[in-house]
Amino acid sequence: MKIIVCIKQVPDVTEVKWDENGSLIRTGLPSIINPNDKNAIEAALTLKEEKGAEITVVSMGPPQVEEALREAMAMGCDHAVLLTDRKFGGADCWATAYTLGMAIKKLGHFDLIFSGVEAMDGNTAQVGPEIADFLGLPLLSYAEAIEVGEGTVKIHQKLGDLTRVIEGPMPALITCEKELNVPRIPRMDLVFECFEKEIKVLGMADVDGELENFGLKGSPTRLRKVFSPKRAKAQVEFLEGTPKESSQKLVEKLHEINAI
Amino acid sequence: MDFNLTPLNKMVIKTARAFCETEIPAIDAYMKEHNDYPPYLQEIFAKHHMLGMDIPKELGGIGADNFNLILIAEEVGKTASTCMLPFFMNNSVAETICHWGTEEVIKKFVPPLCDGTAWASMAFTEPNTGSDPRALTLTAEPDGDDFILNGTKRFISMANKPGPGVFFAKDLSMKGKPFDTTAFIVDKMSPGITFSGHYELMGLDGADTCDVFFTDVRVPKANILGRQGKGFPILLRWIAGERIQQCAATIGGGQAALDESVKYGNQRVVGGFPMGYMQGFSWMLADMKTRVEACRLLCYKTVKLQDEKNKGFEAASSELKVLTVPLIQEVCRQAVQFHGSYGYSKEYKVEKIFRNAMHLGVVASSLEINKTIAGMTILTQK
Repeated sequence: MKIIVCIKQVPDVTEVKWDENGSLIRTGLPSIINPNDKNAIEAALTLKEEKGAEITVVSMGPPQVEEALREAMAMGCDHAVLLTDRKFGGADCWATAYTLGMAIKKLGHFDLIFSGVEAMDGNTAQVGPEIADFLGLPLLSYAEAIEVGEGTVKIHQKLGDLTRVIEGPMPALITCEKELNVPRIPRMDLVFECFEKEIKVLGMADVDGELENFGLKGSPTRLRKVFSPKRAKAQVEFLEGTPKESSQKLVEKLHEINAI
Repeated sequence: MDFNLTPLNKMVIKTARAFCETEIPAIDAYMKEHNDYPPYLQEIFAKHHMLGMDIPKELGGIGADNFNLILIAEEVGKTASTCMLPFFMNNSVAETICHWGTEEVIKKFVPPLCDGTAWASMAFTEPNTGSDPRALTLTAEPDGDDFILNGTKRFISMANKPGPGVFFAKDLSMKGKPFDTTAFIVDKMSPGITFSGHYELMGLDGADTCDVFFTDVRVPKANILGRQGKGFPILLRWIAGERIQQCAATIGGGQAALDESVKYGNQRVVGGFPMGYMQGFSWMLADMKTRVEACRLLCYKTVKLQDEKNKGFEAASSELKVLTVPLIQEVCRQAVQFHGSYGYSKEYKVEKIFRNAMHLGVVASSLEINKTIAGMTILTQK
């Protein structure tokens, strides 16, 4: 079985800062593999151990994404492909999915594509489904369990309080939820081996496609503004009295503001 | 001169840190409850392929180098977990057997130390000596294809766990020769071997350090490591490497003591602002940081020398200990002081780090014997 895993390198912060143009200030921030994408890697590695598989991990981004790809190989992925080109810069979900889709076509035969449900720095959850759309694949999204059969794949799809079981023919694309598994730590011997492996680097000329579909040029969405919402300072009022009295005062207050 | 770590070094650190965060809390919880290592501890290290770092791949090792092992040691040291001892021991004894052993001995004893099925030990210390081979009283008497060992070893780590131990004995067949110390690889579960209970140590909580009693223990001649009567150089080389690992882990402890102090200095508010910004405390942080950094740089330089393979590093590792013992012990004392009464409480990590740091001056060769080695080397080198 051949599996492709799409990953993204993201800054390791919960509160990122942007410059005046709305771009992320990445300087000084450590980078990590997007957490959901680690679930995707783990899902592929679990299948590899259970049924045997060859895993290629693919990522689009600047040259420093090499670090994330090597870490994926240290976890157990077999091959890595880096899509890097200045013309890929500024891509939105559509252009990113287009670029990844074109590259995957170039890589040849595969049985499954895994990606994380969403990236922690964008939270769009669009790229995985759009790759499936580009490649004309069945999409099995929000997977919290995966079963591979003979030519078919079944997932437990997380839908809020409900779980839906869906099945589709392979090849297919699956987006992975954090509930799917606990990603493993890289193995120390593979840490050393991953630096001996070659990473395939592809630019725009290597993946074919239409020039106007890549990067900022190919992105239908435009970022207008990014800002941190201002936090209003709250007024603190102490409700005096016994617990019963203060509880009654609290209920009155909540009624006043139509909270209850 | 490049002081930067390579991308590989950085990933080794990141991976070691992830290992520490994931595995060590459960290991420490077991050790607190049982006052001993989990029986499956070496399997945990093996699962993450952290044993046999400096051992060829065909023997089950990683085929890496000591520099990267030191980076892992630093991270494990930051946790103040005693589980670092068996990790170091399996790595260093496997390397020692590979360096000195015959092909037969290497194939027999090294793979189990890499796959985590065996626990290594190294045993020189006795009730009346820790560094003088002439004072050894564990005797080895030849008997056919075997030697018969009798006597006592003291303060031996992991002695009562299954696996090979390198035991240094007075070789009675070498009587009258200038050197009579022979190193034997002994299956620690051999008939005739018994153990004392664990010593209660000042630090290294849960360590299984004990005495080992030999009564007519039969060891095959084939298990001699190196040559008969030439055991002491094996000890000196092993302990030189062990010192570097021990220093690296303690430097990690010093870094953790500093990190804890920085955290506390920012959190504790005195007179309306964080305590750490008071000059007296910020000066302490400056002292601690520069001491840790100086020790770390000498540690890296020393392990690079070890990795060159063709140069002696024994005196250099003694110099490292001469620097590290007083500086890191002082850093850990400062961290306790920085925390005030809380630093003396077991609620705070610096208390444990301080107790652990005290071991560096007396375990795996004392500060004073290292000063002697380093000083004599300065006098005698040309």
